[in-house]
Amino acid sequence: MRNLTLILCVAAALIALPHGLSFSQQEVLVFLTINILLVASYRLLTLTGEWSLGHVVIMGVGAYASALLSKKLGLFVPVSMLLGGLTAALVAYILSFPLFRMKGFYFLIGSFAAGEVIRLLWKRFREPFGGAKGLKRIDSMPDFDLGFYAFEFFEPVSYYYFALLVVAVCLWVMWRLERSPVGLTFHAIHWQDKLAEAAGVNVRGYRTLAFVVASGFAGLSGALLAHYIGTINPNSFDVEQMVFVLTWAIVGGTATFYGPILGCIVLTILNEIILRELGFEQARPVIYGLILILSILFLPKGLESLVERLAARFRKTPGKPELGTAPDKEARA
Amino acid sequence: MIRHVFTGRFNRRSFIKASASLAGLAALNTSTSGLALAADKVVKIGFLAPLTGAVAAWGKPGLDGCQIWAERVNAAGGISIGGEGHKVEFVAYDNEYDPAKARTGATKLIREDGVKFIMMLGGDTWPGVEPVADRTGMLFSTLLPSDLSPDTNTLIAPAEVHPIYNVTGVEWLAENRPDLKTAVMCAQDDALGLPSVATYLAAFEAAGIEMLDEPLLFDPATTDFAPVVTRLLSKNPQIVCLDTCYSDYVHPIVEQLFQQGYKGQIISCTADFYDQMIAKTSKEFMEGFIFQFPDFDDPALNGHGVNFDDPNGFYAEYNKRHPGEWGAVSWEYASIMDLWKAAAEKAGSVEPDAVLNAMTGSGKGNHAFGEADWWGKDLFGIDNALVGDWPVVAIENGKARIKGFKSIPDWYGKHGELLKKHMAAYNQMWDQRT
Repeated sequence: MRNLTLILCVAAALIALPHGLSFSQQEVLVFLTINILLVASYRLLTLTGEWSLGHVVIMGVGAYASALLSKKLGLFVPVSMLLGGLTAALVAYILSFPLFRMKGFYFLIGSFAAGEVIRLLWKRFREPFGGAKGLKRIDSMPDFDLGFYAFEFFEPVSYYYFALLVVAVCLWVMWRLERSPVGLTFHAIHWQDKLAEAAGVNVRGYRTLAFVVASGFAGLSGALLAHYIGTINPNSFDVEQMVFVLTWAIVGGTATFYGPILGCIVLTILNEIILRELGFEQARPVIYGLILILSILFLPKGLESLVERLAARFRKTPGKPELGTAPDKEARA
Repeated sequence: MIRHVFTGRFNRRSFIKASASLAGLAALNTSTSGLALAADKVVKIGFLAPLTGAVAAWGKPGLDGCQIWAERVNAAGGISIGGEGHKVEFVAYDNEYDPAKARTGATKLIREDGVKFIMMLGGDTWPGVEPVADRTGMLFSTLLPSDLSPDTNTLIAPAEVHPIYNVTGVEWLAENRPDLKTAVMCAQDDALGLPSVATYLAAFEAAGIEMLDEPLLFDPATTDFAPVVTRLLSKNPQIVCLDTCYSDYVHPIVEQLFQQGYKGQIISCTADFYDQMIAKTSKEFMEGFIFQFPDFDDPALNGHGVNFDDPNGFYAEYNKRHPGEWGAVSWEYASIMDLWKAAAEKAGSVEPDAVLNAMTGSGKGNHAFGEADWWGKDLFGIDNALVGDWPVVAIENGKARIKGFKSIPDWYGKHGELLKKHMAAYNQMWDQRT
């Protein structure tokens, strides 16, 4: 009951949120929502211990596939979005054959190379990918009226509600997956892959599964982006964007489900709203970089460790720590 | 007074004295303005371009130039709308050359800041903004006319018709160095490089200069240009054309050309920060380097027909404030503002549709380098590009100097079909853009 109340309160806050924001902040909110799906899917991939540098390109695969399916074949946009996600998952499955012959650092570099090959294909083949200029005038979500609310998808508030629904469902699926036996196996592979293998776990199969499912969600986030801004090009999915995803994950922390999401929210608000509002338009990269360095120096376990500490402080009785609090956990560890 | 602050002897009397001095200075400043400005009459202009990141060199110097332009215009009484002076204020948004951020920026500038006109670099960022322009009817400008199409009714390209003006450099070269008969070319494979490749190919063909190889298109992520230059020089060309490379490419390519012993002619769209290239190579090596963007201290800009107010003074002020940062776009956004100001004053309104009508209604406009025509239906599907004469610039004894002005419409009248042929081959005609 308490959980249901909490969920309803959070849902009400998220629905009310755009109405307290300015127009440009509503736009940032749309991109933030889409990026939350991207970074959460990236964490799913990292659960098995492999870090990829091609995740943003996989996002682009979903964006290109969805854009082309709606533009060239006239598919209904929500259907093309789903197919975009599936295409990204399929491409990831194909890539998994060469990539999962590698591990660790080699996988990281291999994923970067695979991503660059895909980006070069987009640039090389002007038909159908539009070459370096990419695709534009991508169909937007068709407007509709529910009677009590008219969805006009040019408006950021309408698109935010749509993206919020899609992202909420995806996050719920990822959250359930992580807590299922499959998710526990992902963790086992991360920490003890030899032991898991000895216990009969198909390590490569589970790594492929995490890679494919995470890629599917990343592809869906790409589709959401493409049909909102109406244009995509190979530079939209370059390594610079990948660095942002890595930064969100590292600054937020990847030990918890919410860590990378927290990193994404805090750094986006900092970079896109606070620093711009304070008039540091051109100094943002320097300040952003400085804050990153400071957070890594002083919060090496990410923002999630800060939340853990705060939560522990709230839980603990004055003068006597309870069982299960962070210090107690550390002592047991 | 300041000494008092630091020595702790800042008392009530010195505070009143300081306040009175400041008030006096402010009053003096106001009274020296040519036209009395109504205190609350301000026209806001949006500046939506990359101010940080890899493409910032084509955004930030433009904003710096605009600030100087605004100070000069405001000091002279501002923009006169219906007999009332309006101050001009620029509101900038760094789009980082990203279409999503450009969309957010356009929304902010229009819906929150209430700007009446937005200047952009264009290129990759324009498609993100296009739906916003459609919905709001806001007037936008771009430096890249390849953004134009019949659907972009409120987008104008009034400063430069990139890359069409590149034909003037090749034409000048063919007239003045008729001995040069072979060329090679390289460019980054992107939205800026490709139409420029098509233009240079047309210009070389029109000038009877043979291309020794297909244009070498390199990936924009390239950082090592030694192999690129080696391949270019393997054909033993008389001319090396650097197309419209970003300055991050032009500099290392020129350095490689120098190191690999090239002695021939170089032609390029831009040569931003050419003093740094001279420092890395030599004055002798850079002698005769042809490009398209003059320094504004050039005496040729004081001649009849140039519509940029006090170009030499503008250049001096710019260099005083931003030494070593003068580039191709330093004056372009400011020159667009000259055109916008004239149109707003003619229309007696700052509303986007009224200004656009006043600007393009007669089919002619005062471009920075002389009277020009609103043109472009053939190539862009709409006559929203302002085209006239363009200068050809050469480096002489370490300094950029205008060698002459050539007419783009005249060249197009003779060789337009060639240009369309090459543009079509690179899928750059407006109806081929996806």
